[in-house]
Amino acid sequence: MNKVILVFLYIILIFFSVQGQDLIEIFGYFETQAMGSHFKSTFYQLYSNKLRVDLQSLPSDQVNFAANFDYITYHGKTKWNVLDFLSQDITSTIPEEMVALYTIEFTDDIFLDNAYLKLSFKQFDLVAGKQQISLGTGYVWNPTDIFNIRDPLDPTYEQPGHNGVRLDIPLGNLYSASFLYSPEDSWENSGKLIRIKGNIGHFDYSFVAIETRWMFHDYMLFDYEKMNFAEAPEKRQLLGTSVVGELLGLGVWAEYAYNIMGKTNNFYEIVVGGDYTFDFYTYVMLELYRNTLAKADYKSYNLNDWMRLFSAEQKTVTRDQLYYYIQHPITDFSDIGISAIYSISDASIALVPTLRHSFSNNVEIFAYINFNFGKEGTAYAQSQGKGGLLRARIYF
Amino acid sequence: MKIVAYPLLFLLMLISLSLSQELSGEDIIQKVNEQINVETSYGKQKMTITTTSGDERTFLFEAWSKERGAKNLIRYMEPKRAKGQATLMLNNADDIWMYFPRTQRVRKLATHAKRQKMEGSDFSYEDMGSGDAFIDDFDAKRLEDEEMEGHDCYKIELTRKSESDLSYSRLIMWVIKENFVPIVIDYYDEDDPNLAEKRLVQSNIEIIDDIPTAMKAIMYNKNDNSKTELEIVEIRFNVQLDDAMFTERALKK
Repeated sequence: MNKVILVFLYIILIFFSVQGQDLIEIFGYFETQAMGSHFKSTFYQLYSNKLRVDLQSLPSDQVNFAANFDYITYHGKTKWNVLDFLSQDITSTIPEEMVALYTIEFTDDIFLDNAYLKLSFKQFDLVAGKQQISLGTGYVWNPTDIFNIRDPLDPTYEQPGHNGVRLDIPLGNLYSASFLYSPEDSWENSGKLIRIKGNIGHFDYSFVAIETRWMFHDYMLFDYEKMNFAEAPEKRQLLGTSVVGELLGLGVWAEYAYNIMGKTNNFYEIVVGGDYTFDFYTYVMLELYRNTLAKADYKSYNLNDWMRLFSAEQKTVTRDQLYYYIQHPITDFSDIGISAIYSISDASIALVPTLRHSFSNNVEIFAYINFNFGKEGTAYAQSQGKGGLLRARIYF
Repeated sequence: MKIVAYPLLFLLMLISLSLSQELSGEDIIQKVNEQINVETSYGKQKMTITTTSGDERTFLFEAWSKERGAKNLIRYMEPKRAKGQATLMLNNADDIWMYFPRTQRVRKLATHAKRQKMEGSDFSYEDMGSGDAFIDDFDAKRLEDEEMEGHDCYKIELTRKSESDLSYSRLIMWVIKENFVPIVIDYYDEDDPNLAEKRLVQSNIEIIDDIPTAMKAIMYNKNDNSKTELEIVEIRFNVQLDDAMFTERALKK
């Protein structure tokens, strides 16, 4: 609670100290969201309210300061035990006294999401602070992005900021080089990135090399000293490439990353996708994803796989997946769609009908419901229940 | 003096009349294109979308253009929902990149996206960034002159060339004789050249930097029964614009 009061005092202090200077622009949004999930004959609800306040200042052409605070409150069922969603083969192995440890709790929070200073010169851009890092050309899955993991049910939702210093150097109008240093407790543990981007004809491409320490946890071992699951960090080096462009009238993209691991087996991820808009404005997209860190046989998915997925430590539990999305505008300000996420490896599928509507210039809603149709133990098992989300957002 | 001047004036009128009659469809569209596609421009425009039900959405954006409309950058200022979003169109909108400020993500769109409605409006990306399309993608034929919107106009028909991938099979354009402003343009369906899809009506012509400029344009969508009004809030022609403005780096500014 003290943290909340302190951060609010800080926001108020900044607000009043900069208002007089007429230099800082203040904007943002308020978002209220209702989520529901029906499983094991019970309907559970979780509500959240999020206030995002953005500050931006452009004191000169070369200097840009931007930041945003998020304040989120949760209501309803704020504690969810992951074991409730897993197959009995897995849950039956967990000792009774450990069951409560697999609870994920949504707690009210206020935090500085992004805050950075950007210096722009003809020769380079330098960005220092918590910033958005967005890598790759995939829509749902980005093999070259080790910083963010998207939710396949809601893949365009904004990602958190990451601390780092980034240097972008344009090499003519077609090429650029980027360097990122994301500091941790030592140089060895810090994230380092080099990326070269270029363009040939209607294609953009990039090559990327990243080194970082990947913080895994072993969810079968509890560290009672730290009162958390045992940490299992390891060095990860990634070499990747991505391309986006057009082929035979279709939008196409591909992304590949090979991961060299310090302790565990090396693995690779690949995404290939395409999209098209018909003359009658219907938009279709298809994306294929393989991640060899994940398993091909659903009977071998274990507790670590699931917990790492729910804790956003790894992107998926199932090796080969297909994402299909179709969207059509029903009015100028509304569109409906349906996405299907199909696990080729375990033959499970999630269907997600969506609706977007803009109520006015600055008010919009987004809703989806999801149905799973897989066997027990698969990635999209019917036993995980069905759910939905309704989100309204007003911008100011 | 008067005796000499009157025959001279008469002769000039005759020459002008014969010249106007001799202008072919290609000549007219060439002059229209030269006038609307200035080497560079910067403008601030207000876009108001009105749906069938009367709902309205208003956008304010800045637009930079270079190489006679072949390169375009649009950055939204209002509403707050779209603030900071930007679209870069190069090669007459054959290459489109969109930038979303909250995720700082740039997404490249393929040419099929040219047909998408810009922010739900009745203008497609193709309508906004096609540069010299009137002369590169269409063959022009002059039809019988007509009066349109109170102006004495040339009427021309533009038929899509076989190699073009534009999404209109033909256009009918009424061009004011006095200043070569295309006051009305009818856009016909990609597959059915007899099916009128949209009509653009321009008005409020002012001389800006010696160029006759329609300060207001309304696109009527006959299929959806909606309309979108574009109003120029500020415009400057032949401004100094660096090529670096039309890059992914500038898109993210």
